[in-house]
Amino acid sequence: MTPLSPDLLESLAAEALREGLADALYTHVASPIGPLLVVEAATGVCKVSFADAPDDRELARVATVFGARLLESDQLLATTREAFAAYFDGVLDALDLPVDLALVGQPFRRRVLDELRTVGPGRVVTYGQLAAATDNPRAARAVGTACAQNPVPLVVPCHRVLPSSGGIGAYGGGTDRKRTLLALERALPR
Amino acid sequence: MTVALPPFGLLVGDHGDELLRHARRLAGDDAEDVLQDALVRALRAYPRLTHTAHLRAWLHRVLTTTAFDWLDRRRVRAGELLTDTPPEALASPELYDDAFEVLIGALPGGAQFALRLRFVDDLPYETIAVRLDCSPEAARQRVSSAVRTLREAHA
Repeated sequence: MTPLSPDLLESLAAEALREGLADALYTHVASPIGPLLVVEAATGVCKVSFADAPDDRELARVATVFGARLLESDQLLATTREAFAAYFDGVLDALDLPVDLALVGQPFRRRVLDELRTVGPGRVVTYGQLAAATDNPRAARAVGTACAQNPVPLVVPCHRVLPSSGGIGAYGGGTDRKRTLLALERALPR
Repeated sequence: MTVALPPFGLLVGDHGDELLRHARRLAGDDAEDVLQDALVRALRAYPRLTHTAHLRAWLHRVLTTTAFDWLDRRRVRAGELLTDTPPEALASPELYDDAFEVLIGALPGGAQFALRLRFVDDLPYETIAVRLDCSPEAARQRVSSAVRTLREAHA
């Protein structure tokens, strides 16, 4: 099966956007931690997925909240693609992009992720510190769940959350990816 | 009730290839333009689809309708008289396998057009009215009368 020409798909996406027919756009970005699926709604990036998660499942999840008119376009998402490329080139604040957390159902989890956005590159926090920052110092475990289910990893930097007991801790994309990202940010714990 | 429609981009990925081949049979060198038009039409109707069965067949119907419209426009531009003789490009077996097209095939062109707008493009009557250049009530009556004719023909 040969896919349609990129030109046709790009002009379909452009026309759909012009007519307000696109619920969100998506693109695949190459990176040192494998290809990333990036989905962007009008309000901001709403999903970032690692290669282990099948596209159809991830996009179907986006469709349940944003609508099923999801179209692929590298050109319309050029700015976002450049931001990812710049980040992996060492411009660590390049991923300070608008996000849409509509895929996060629970208000507390959304609050945790909002708070986490304030943790800039090069910095790390513990689950407990993040819990305290959301005025729920005993909710470290719930903070862990919020991070594990972060729909927009990298952009909301859940890789910057570490266990207070030391070590690197868990990561939705696997600890290897977390280690790579922290090393890139020169924030890998000793 | 809302249904879980598959992400449109994946649908295009799965069926784009065969749709393009179908478009080539219908529209030759203009296949890509016609297919793009068809996919935009499909996107307009997509959120209003009430079931997810037969999405592939639905895309084929939208494409066929778009190609018919394109052929009509081209003939009008070329100053030809409109006829109801199907062009040779349309004589593909696939088209005649298409149950919907077979069903409506005996109706006058205007009635076919109204039925396609309603049941293939799945447009609301307000939009059909614009396409038919009449009032929404008249559009509803045209579709309804075409359906009645079909019912009587198949009674």
